[in-house]
Amino acid sequence: MANNNTYDAIVVGSGISGGWAAMELCKKGLKTIVLERGRQVEHIKDYPTTNLAPWELLHRNRNTNKIKDDQHIQVRGFCNEANSHFFVNDKEHPYVQKKPYDWIRGYHVGGRSLMWGRQCYRWSDLDFEANAKDGHGVDWPIRYKDIAPWYSYVERFAGISGSKEGLPQLPDGDFLPPMEMNALEQHVSESIKQKFSDGRRMIIGRVANLTKGWNGRGPCQYRNLCDRGCPFSGYFSSNSATLPVAASTGNLTLRPHSIGMEIIYDKEKRMAKGVRIIDELSNEVIEYYAKIIFLNASTLGSTGILLNSKSDVFPNGMGNSSDQLGRNLMDHHYHVGAGGRYDGLKDKVTFGRRPNGIYVARFRNIDEKTKRSDYLRGFGYQGGASRGMNWNSDEMGSELKEQMTEPGDWSFWLGSWGEQLPHLDNRVLLSKTEKDKWGLPQLEIDCEWKENEIAMRKDMMNSAAEMLEAGGIKDIYTFNDEKAYPGLCIHEMGTARMGNDPKTSVLNKWNQLHEVKNVFNTDGACMTSSACQNPSVTYMALTARAADYAVSELKKGNL
Amino acid sequence: MDRRELLKMVALATGGIVIGGEFFLAGCKNENAGIGGATFSNNDIAFLDEVAETIIPKTTTAGAKEAEVGKFMTVMVNDCYDEADQKTFHEGIKKLDEACNKMHGHGFMKADAAHRKELLTSLDKEAKEYVKTKKKEDPNHYFQMMKQLTLIGYFTSKPGIEQNFNYQAVPGKFDGAVPYKKGDKLFV
Repeated sequence: MANNNTYDAIVVGSGISGGWAAMELCKKGLKTIVLERGRQVEHIKDYPTTNLAPWELLHRNRNTNKIKDDQHIQVRGFCNEANSHFFVNDKEHPYVQKKPYDWIRGYHVGGRSLMWGRQCYRWSDLDFEANAKDGHGVDWPIRYKDIAPWYSYVERFAGISGSKEGLPQLPDGDFLPPMEMNALEQHVSESIKQKFSDGRRMIIGRVANLTKGWNGRGPCQYRNLCDRGCPFSGYFSSNSATLPVAASTGNLTLRPHSIGMEIIYDKEKRMAKGVRIIDELSNEVIEYYAKIIFLNASTLGSTGILLNSKSDVFPNGMGNSSDQLGRNLMDHHYHVGAGGRYDGLKDKVTFGRRPNGIYVARFRNIDEKTKRSDYLRGFGYQGGASRGMNWNSDEMGSELKEQMTEPGDWSFWLGSWGEQLPHLDNRVLLSKTEKDKWGLPQLEIDCEWKENEIAMRKDMMNSAAEMLEAGGIKDIYTFNDEKAYPGLCIHEMGTARMGNDPKTSVLNKWNQLHEVKNVFNTDGACMTSSACQNPSVTYMALTARAADYAVSELKKGNL
Repeated sequence: MDRRELLKMVALATGGIVIGGEFFLAGCKNENAGIGGATFSNNDIAFLDEVAETIIPKTTTAGAKEAEVGKFMTVMVNDCYDEADQKTFHEGIKKLDEACNKMHGHGFMKADAAHRKELLTSLDKEAKEYVKTKKKEDPNHYFQMMKQLTLIGYFTSKPGIEQNFNYQAVPGKFDGAVPYKKGDKLFV
């Protein structure tokens, strides 16, 4: 039995970072098994709604009461009639909320790489040095120079469209041609450049949609139906990009329905021996063995597996002598910003459904000149302008119909995404009493926004209004939804942070468990701080970097 | 147009939030989901078709009846509304008929197009006034529901989209500044 179940490497999870781990390890010649807890989703074949017109959805893409009931947490995110099959059933996958926490999940091959927002922004030393400078959390064990070549490496494969702007806090990457701003976005962008002396810039979003054919995929067809899966392979997902390359090497074994239970520890060798899984359908418990284990089961999933990997040596979870495992859970706080309408550009409309918006790079606390006294760190903006139908009508009948089919005013919407500071008491634990249907302990999440986030939100909201005003936007409204609880941004990070000191961190600078060198974690769990940029491209870069290191260590006989 | 855009537009055109929308309150399970409950008769569907046709009539393009908006309304009320809203909607069919009796001396199905339009214009005004002063726990207004469902149903239907707009399933490109003059069909 042992021989049949022995590989060179095991990857737990097939989402955005698991797909990268699988591809890199397979390309380097390692026989690799990917253990995915959910069902198979084959690229294109398993995208049942991808070609449906609006009228072919019975409820026209509104959530039914059944979806609202079965997926009562998922519907607070981006779950709708056309993509609900890619989000978990909350009744089948419960967790304990010590405080309100929205855990938005996709349990299937490809994970959330199928439904992700696709925004890709490099971090800079402003982010990697933040903890060291203001004393929150521990210092990152890496700097921008360590990850920069790996950003380039993953961007060149994935295909990220964007414009080069020369902003030090938002480094340029190896981009495909940028998408274009629409007429009003260009106007507002220009106004911001002229009217603010603090260097703030509104640029086109940097997005993993292909603006030209790339590595046999794409280009994007501007349908903006990405979250259903793309039959043109127009955006990056594990299903469209990394897993097919991994499979083409002949080194990949993909096993769906495999729920990671724990990592098996070999006390003699002081290494991990393998992974124990339970088959989702048959409940059979199976062990797989390998020299290298990549844990990419998502931030909370990976940490849950480590917490559940208990032994004499690690009574509180594998690699947790620091007691840091499960702590410093972060997300981005959002649902705050402003919007309004514009009187001009009546002679312009748009064509195509661009699956992307604008981005405003962080402009607070980036140097002495922009330092704030009311909060630490900063935020960015996403949003955009559009011109749709003319809604503002008290008419009835043919007059109403005629008005509504004409274009209305242009409108602009700006939403802000803010950094959350790491806090020891924002954490995840294993429940002592609640179990799931496979008998595994449920996760218990205890996380909240604290003073710094709440103080920052006022500025996030007011600065949005201020920029729109500078752009000539009228009837500006602002919003600051304090019911947008942690988790909702689906950028959960931390709980197994990287650091230099094994006493205060879980992973080292190569994403290895300090205490178990052949176990690597390169999903959101490894993050030492949250910055304010969308994190996925950083997971990709860290994964490729760690896989390269793991294979070189293996060849040296160190693993 | 994208879904968020349509819902925003519908909300604004009917003076408030889109009824039967998603739940944003974390930790608040949707306990009042109206699964099951009263059903609609064919007469109800015919009645709702006429209401919808009055809101969005056939002109040079198809009207709401051709887009089967009456049936669409019943599907949405059954599958997406909570119990309280389902009740309000069912009672609304009777209330609308009674309001027609009061205004014109006969039921809605017997009213001619001009009388129907006069009635719905007045109900639209009534609903918008109601929404302005309504407290959170007050029931929704049935005509706000009917108008919302008509606009959503029609402007997501095949004839509603294809005959009124420049719809392309696969646009293939994006242009952020296309010249527009009155009479051009809007891209959606």
